[in-house]
Amino acid sequence: MAKVLEGPGMGLMKKWGIHVPNYVVVTSADELAKLGQANDWMKTSKLVAKAHEALGSRFKLGLVKVGLDLNGAVAATKEMIGRQVGSITVSQVIVSEMIAHKEEYYCAVKSTREGTEILVANCGGIEVESNWDRVKRLCLEVGQTPSPDALEKLSKDAGFAGPLTKKMADFAGKMFTCFDSEDAQYLEVNPVVTRESDGELVALDAVTLLDGDAKFRHPDWNFAFAAEFGRAYSKQELEVMAVDSKIKGSVKFIEIPGGDTAMLPAGGGASVYYSDAVVARGGKLANYAEYSGDPPDWAVEVLTEKICSLPGIKNIIVGGAIANFTDVKKTFGGIINGFRKAKSDGKLKDVKIWVRRGGPREKEGLDAMRALKDEGFDINVFDRYTPLTDIVDKALQGK
Amino acid sequence: MSILANKDTRVVIQGGQAGVNAARRMAEFCYLIKRPLNVEAFVYPPDAGKTNEIPYGSGLLAIPVYKSIAEATKNHPTINTSLVYIGADRAMKGGMEALDDSHIKVVSMITEGVPEKDAKILGAHARKLGKVFNGPSSIGIISAGSCRLGVIGGAFDNLVLSKLYREGSFGVITKSGGLSNEIIWICSQFADGITTAIGIGGDAYPGTDYVSYLEMFENDPQTKAVVIVGEMGGDLEERAAEWYGAKKRRVKLIGVVSGFCQESLPKGMKFGHAGAKEGMKGEGSARSKSDALKKAGAIVPPTFGALGPAIKETYQELLKSGQVKEVVEPASLPKLPKTVEEAMKADEVIVAPLIRTTISDDRGDEPCYDGYPASELINKGYEVPHVIGLLWDKRLISKQDAEIIKRIMMLSADHGPCVSGAYGTILAACAGIGLSQSVAAGLIMIGPRFGGAVTDAGRFFKYAVDNKMSVDEFLTYMKKNHGPVPGIGHRVKSLRNPDKRVKELVGYVKSLNIKTPCLDFALQVEQVTAAKKDNLILNVDGTMAAVLVDIGFPVDSLNGFFILSRTIGLIGHWVDQKRQDSRLIRLFDYLVNYAAPKRREVPPLK
Repeated sequence: MAKVLEGPGMGLMKKWGIHVPNYVVVTSADELAKLGQANDWMKTSKLVAKAHEALGSRFKLGLVKVGLDLNGAVAATKEMIGRQVGSITVSQVIVSEMIAHKEEYYCAVKSTREGTEILVANCGGIEVESNWDRVKRLCLEVGQTPSPDALEKLSKDAGFAGPLTKKMADFAGKMFTCFDSEDAQYLEVNPVVTRESDGELVALDAVTLLDGDAKFRHPDWNFAFAAEFGRAYSKQELEVMAVDSKIKGSVKFIEIPGGDTAMLPAGGGASVYYSDAVVARGGKLANYAEYSGDPPDWAVEVLTEKICSLPGIKNIIVGGAIANFTDVKKTFGGIINGFRKAKSDGKLKDVKIWVRRGGPREKEGLDAMRALKDEGFDINVFDRYTPLTDIVDKALQGK
Repeated sequence: MSILANKDTRVVIQGGQAGVNAARRMAEFCYLIKRPLNVEAFVYPPDAGKTNEIPYGSGLLAIPVYKSIAEATKNHPTINTSLVYIGADRAMKGGMEALDDSHIKVVSMITEGVPEKDAKILGAHARKLGKVFNGPSSIGIISAGSCRLGVIGGAFDNLVLSKLYREGSFGVITKSGGLSNEIIWICSQFADGITTAIGIGGDAYPGTDYVSYLEMFENDPQTKAVVIVGEMGGDLEERAAEWYGAKKRRVKLIGVVSGFCQESLPKGMKFGHAGAKEGMKGEGSARSKSDALKKAGAIVPPTFGALGPAIKETYQELLKSGQVKEVVEPASLPKLPKTVEEAMKADEVIVAPLIRTTISDDRGDEPCYDGYPASELINKGYEVPHVIGLLWDKRLISKQDAEIIKRIMMLSADHGPCVSGAYGTILAACAGIGLSQSVAAGLIMIGPRFGGAVTDAGRFFKYAVDNKMSVDEFLTYMKKNHGPVPGIGHRVKSLRNPDKRVKELVGYVKSLNIKTPCLDFALQVEQVTAAKKDNLILNVDGTMAAVLVDIGFPVDSLNGFFILSRTIGLIGHWVDQKRQDSRLIRLFDYLVNYAAPKRREVPPLK
């Protein structure tokens, strides 16, 4: 899943005929002031300014300002740009027109195993969260598109009446088309509102999750995906992502500040069991990492260097199940190079390394790891006869 | 018994190199269980019409490659299963092609990163046709003792260690490819091993899920218990729990779920597989899955580490109740033949070498010349003449000798475009011939009349010195046995028009105050011969030869000094012509004396 920020998300909805408020995304107050001269709506409407970043609870942080005129929006933009929130520096602000409305509604499309579900409610905003039973669903099988009748029935079931019934049905239909055509995994508009000026339904806020794997068939996805956990990717994480995009197989790395147990396990499945084992033992994870699919040794070396550079770590867990085709000797070669480099840079002092692994050329790989002892590493090496996560238990025994 | 894959499974593999690698692994398994290879064909349009070589035991099988599934199944009508190894952007088309072929009942997709929408369409299409679509991102399917689809099971040694050569009693279903092997291993250590293990892939919506396979395992009498390895995200584990709890099931269900660490991590942090994502409202968490499985009556060990003991306990119960019997292992198993390299490493075989070398070794991280690493020679100040000494005469020569060789090379690197060698190279270069062939054309000229007299000159001067001959004795000996003295005489140079190169070299060597018996003898010979005829002087070949013999180089290597030095010039001439983009040259007829008979009539053929 790949999260898309509001700007590009609203762009995609607009592309498929869904009404969205006028909006601009700017990187400076000057740019906004210039745009204000060129666009009438910015002079005539009340405006909302929001930090355009992958940040949660922006309202609380003062990164959403409403009811502004153009000068107010320029001032708000000036104030927001460059603000530091955790690891994120605000670099973009989205300014949109406020839509005068009374009622708020809800519409979402989501992927299910059987196909797709269209969700509609005749309440919106925070009200829908506490009245989830008022959300009505239309379930569609894989490959099926909703008929106008089915959409109208959905709209009626959700409590819409009069001309609004058809309008909501149309809106939901367009949401489905956007979802289906853009390889979306989740689309949510909350609230949908009736614009007082012309009575049209408008999407005021959008959550857009796209399928990153489908990027190859969407040349117009010219936007970057946003990090999904309320902060920007760090430089180290971005460097590993850049390596990941270049290689056969994969390397993954996410930092978790404050932890002291560093993770360097193999496999998308096993890596999570290792993380679970650390947490179950009362340890604190310093990162999540994973390499799999027989990646080249240099890629694993890059990953190892990042992990060795994590501050305040006491243990490194080099775990892994019995590989199917990942060459243990080769990938361990990358890890060993990374360890050596870190050591010669003065890192890994008082850090214990714990290894468990199996798979093609496991003996050679494990022997090479064992030999690190002679170079002064504090390393403990186990083979397939030691159960998968026992090294975590051994590492955290003192806890 | 087993599910999904058995001894009748015949396979077509869609894809290139990754598919070939999988076929090799599958052949290892077939060899272990003493059955013929189950891969009948490949489909890969770029290689259509060729064959892929798959090692089986110590032999090689040639498996045909076709351009389409239809062509493959027409030629191999027993094919009933397809493995898809095609890139994510074309996987859907390939999967559809396989599903739509009437011969094929099971399609397993190994490709990772397939768009979710495509995977859902493939899964729905298969269900409509009553077929199985496994994956995407599946590591494969393996039925112990009967059939391996894909690389699942790992290396040959692991197949043996995990007892995959014969059936056990446990079914395995995992999302993770890496963990599938781990569970198979655990089942073989803590119980009697597996019936069938299936990787369903870690995507959010795999074509076939736990329930599809639980249903099949329930109907397979050999399978007594099923281990499922789940992870947070989606609702597949909940559905498995629902299935298990719905009514009394014959099989026991053992399940573990990963993702408890999420509870103490920043929300929304994405781990592991594509499908491993908790829902907006806590659904799909490890805890809710784990609880659902427990509630349905499944055995749910608290951690992954407790899985082995849980499997063991289940196995002991099955033994006690008589549902399973102790397995008797076969007395012997086929061993995978070693490659020659592996066998040599294990001291199991002697190979008679084809060639022998005493000068150079390239097997380390850099070449060693007569044992000395090239970089160390460089860093300790040695130069090209020292490398010549090591490779031609297996000794580290002195700094002074190296200087002599350097001067010889500089003096004989080129001698203008008119001499046979350079002219040969230029002629070839003008005809558009490439560097190595053009230089070779020049080198071919080196022989008795051009540049190739160094070895012979050295040999005869040395012969004379070794036998303490006088100049007169030597000249008589030469006249009687060999003819003119090599190294004496020049086409254009003479006493009055001396060769500066000779003067330079002799002057330098003499200035070193070293013993030069050959050179001294050659100079004495010159005094006699030049007195007879003024161009019978010691030429550059002869001088080089005498000096090189004096500093200890073997006679047979001496021509090499001229060949090596002149190659510098020949390369220069080729590059020079190329730079000028020279035109083809040919002789003018006025430069030829046409001494052939005049034109005449051809007589009738008899």
